[in-house]
Amino acid sequence: MRLSYNWLKEYVDVHAGPRDLATGLTMSGSEVGQMEERDGDAVMELEITTNRPDCLNIVGLAREASAVFNRDLNVPRAEISETSQERMDMECRIKAPGKCPRYTARIITGITVKPCGDKIRRHITSVGLREVNNIVDVTNFCLMEQGQPLHAFDLDKLEGGRVIVREAAKGEKITTIDGEERELEKGMLVIADAKKPVAIAGVMGGKETEVTESTKNILVESAYFDPVSVRRTAHALGLSTDSSYRFERGVDKGMIKPASDRAAELIVEEAGGDIGAFFDEGALEVETPTIKFDMARAGRILGIPLETDQVENIFRRLGITVNEKDENILTVTGPSFREDITREVDLIEEVARIYGYHNIPARVTKLVPQVTRKQHQRKVLEKLRTILAARGLNEIMTYSLVSREAVERFRAISADEVGLFNPVSEQHRFLTPHLADGMLRSVAWNVNRGNRDLGLFELGKRYSREGKGKYSESLTLCVGLTGDLRKNWEEGDRKAHFFDIKGMIDTVFTGFRLEPAYERAEIESFESATEVKITGEKAGFIAECGRSVLDKYDIEQPVFIAQIRLDGLIKNTDLAHHYRSIPRFPSSTRDVSVLCEGSLPARQIYDAILESGEELIRSAELVDVYTGEQVEAGKKSLTYSIEYGLDTRTLKDEEIDSVHSRVKDHIRKKLGVAFR
Amino acid sequence: MDILSRLDDIKKDFKAELAAAAGEKALEEVRIKYTGRKGELTRILRSLGDLSPELKKEVGKKANILKKEFEEAISSSREEAQQIKARKKQEGIDVTLPGITERLGSLHPITQTMEKINDIFVSLGFRIAEGPEIETEFYNFEALNIPLDHPSRDAFDTFYIEGENLLRSHTSNVQIHVMQTQPPPVQAIMPGRVYRPDTVDATHSFMFHQVEGLMVDEDVTFADLKGTLSMFCKSMFGEEIRMRLRPHFFPFTEPSAEVDISCIMCKGKGCRVCSGNGWLEILGAGMVDPKVFEAVGYDAGKYTGYAFGMGVERIAMLQYGIDDIRLFYENDIRFLNQFR
Ligand SMILES: [Zn+2]
Repeated sequence: MRLSYNWLKEYVDVHAGPRDLATGLTMSGSEVGQMEERDGDAVMELEITTNRPDCLNIVGLAREASAVFNRDLNVPRAEISETSQERMDMECRIKAPGKCPRYTARIITGITVKPCGDKIRRHITSVGLREVNNIVDVTNFCLMEQGQPLHAFDLDKLEGGRVIVREAAKGEKITTIDGEERELEKGMLVIADAKKPVAIAGVMGGKETEVTESTKNILVESAYFDPVSVRRTAHALGLSTDSSYRFERGVDKGMIKPASDRAAELIVEEAGGDIGAFFDEGALEVETPTIKFDMARAGRILGIPLETDQVENIFRRLGITVNEKDENILTVTGPSFREDITREVDLIEEVARIYGYHNIPARVTKLVPQVTRKQHQRKVLEKLRTILAARGLNEIMTYSLVSREAVERFRAISADEVGLFNPVSEQHRFLTPHLADGMLRSVAWNVNRGNRDLGLFELGKRYSREGKGKYSESLTLCVGLTGDLRKNWEEGDRKAHFFDIKGMIDTVFTGFRLEPAYERAEIESFESATEVKITGEKAGFIAECGRSVLDKYDIEQPVFIAQIRLDGLIKNTDLAHHYRSIPRFPSSTRDVSVLCEGSLPARQIYDAILESGEELIRSAELVDVYTGEQVEAGKKSLTYSIEYGLDTRTLKDEEIDSVHSRVKDHIRKKLGVAFR
Repeated sequence: MDILSRLDDIKKDFKAELAAAAGEKALEEVRIKYTGRKGELTRILRSLGDLSPELKKEVGKKANILKKEFEEAISSSREEAQQIKARKKQEGIDVTLPGITERLGSLHPITQTMEKINDIFVSLGFRIAEGPEIETEFYNFEALNIPLDHPSRDAFDTFYIEGENLLRSHTSNVQIHVMQTQPPPVQAIMPGRVYRPDTVDATHSFMFHQVEGLMVDEDVTFADLKGTLSMFCKSMFGEEIRMRLRPHFFPFTEPSAEVDISCIMCKGKGCRVCSGNGWLEILGAGMVDPKVFEAVGYDAGKYTGYAFGMGVERIAMLQYGIDDIRLFYENDIRFLNQFR
């Protein structure tokens, strides 16, 4: 909404310059953005909230200014005294009273269409409207002045002497004054003559019946159209006009006739002619509920003491009528142009914004001190992020919305995807069922810019459809490693490989005192895929991305990826630490080198060591893997270092030797392996 | 030979050999020879069984004292040897070579900003509540007094899924979940990811993050809202920051306000970032509308409350001087590494 300072001053004598007026309006809720000063005027761009259609006109803003600056407001009212009976025979009817409860039409005959006078032209152009001719300019002036959209038809072009407000039939067409031919949907409200629609009600008039230089007689429409109906029609046609914008928000139900009168008065001034018949169809109930305003309660909600005189004055300036005054209670009715005022809380807001938010003090006593324990999940995630960042990974954030290709590409790790009806683009149509696409996009982005050594992680959600109206959002960790893991002058470069990402995941779990299990798995699009389980439940996978997938992202180097659901981690993590006494007696280690088939999973040897049932074993660790000249082809040698100890005394060498040989026996018997 | 004088001899020999031993390796040989498992002293201690009780006691005591003495002497000689070695080595290395470092990662700036906001409110006694991103119209709109087919809904343009389901356009849905599951008093914040069908450019994104807050109790006033927000703004942006509230409209609060802070770039003098007016809009807030209380079954006659909400990206952009929202989701490590 544009406001001209000079125009506003015609209705209220604010003793404030444009800047102070702008501040006053902003701080009472009509936010002034840009302001341009020119030709002795100042034009302001205002942001009017959807609840305040009464501020979408100059008089309405003048009323605000009158309240803020406590000055009297002068609202122009026309008096139509003499009318002729010209065209009393016209038929004017509402056939869709639900969408148009009241319709008025005024005949004015014998006009001269020409450019409008200076004053009106200056005002309408100052707020950005185009000048057309005196008739259109006057209707626009009235719209901007007091907010009622009006439309003037060339009376002689209305066929059959009829004006009917009805719903459009399917497929009916109209060419609007912007020259576009528009096909109407069934149910859209139109104004029609005997044959055809001549205007889309509340949105735009028709080209055929518009006022031109040759127009002699006109019909001026002033009506109330249902906001929802206008909104739907305007949306469906992709057409938003000054008129539809106001009807959608609700025009002043009390202004239908006064606006028509004001327009008639100005038209006769500008174009001559005689005011003829006035048709007033339908009935429009102006609802202004009676509201009780409890001074004490309002003061309690705002946190300030209120005085009756002060509140009464605010109400009077805003057009709110005080009917009764009873000690602490004011009984009031709001004006017809303030349909947003229906409850006490609405009045409290009025008082607060004119009183000034800046005059309300700040209080900090109401905060309730709580035992502020960080919630479990937040603590787990914080620890997780800290571990990963300390291990050299950069946290990333990727869009939760991805393309169909991104879903299909990782079908093997995607549950039923969730799609959008109205995506902004095909690139972002589905809620992502995995974090692989975002990870690989981020890898590609960096690799394309010459940054090839990457360790990235994301804590994001995977989304899936679990049935009609049922969805799951699963918090998930994704880790990606690629390029050189380590680069320094002493040890040189080392390319990241599978065991780096596995080690990363191991480190994470170590931080949460959980021990995951890994199992070889086949997952399409991935190589060396390994399933990760926490306490027996599937939690995700680690793998190397397959060549064909990497090609889709134009990545040439190997990328290792892990995706782990966090619900299990969060559930199974106990962040409280319980101390167990440190062994008082020293332990000793013995190594064992197992010579076995190359295909034997190392985990089996590890398990065999631990399950050999020897309570003297404190731990076992793989210290070397060897294949080469020293061992037969197809075989490998794995060396484990086993730690033996007892809590009650130091073990004797002979004891250790004997238990160590029992452990070896067990491994041999269980796995049929030899020792080196 | 008298076993006690044998101990004296051992001591003499030990001292001589220790003095002669140069370097850690030689010291270790001396250690093995005297106190090792098969060393001189050990052998004597092991053979105590053959002696008379008195002698056993005397020899045992003396031998143990000697053993301790030897061990201490060796250990201090070893330290000395190490220091000499280290000194020698240091004189020989180029200390200006780069240190051997580990890569240091980083947390995403949105995470850092969101956690900073969360921490401030947690320290003020708010608890953190979370809720689903895939929501129903009831939680995203109806319960929040946002009617269908009303212009006020335009501000909350939404991605639809199927039927009544949609992607939440704000985290206010969590306010409703919280109030449905607990009676007042409520003092909670709701951080999370939200969506609006905007075309992506430097200042728009169809996905972003919010932190909202809610306080409900008896006699919660507009003054309390101002107090809380003022504490937040000063904690977040600095003691010297000024804050102002302007009347605004939100369907779910009344009275409603937009909250500005004095521009953190120009300190309020006016610059490009604040469009020259010295103020930056950072929050929306207000007193909870009684209709929202009605929707969740709270007694609007008894309780009042305030709510507020802010965009995390916007705050992060202001704080870090970032001028393009897309940087947050490109994940360029040259960007990310600046937030280590
Ligand atoms: Zn600035």
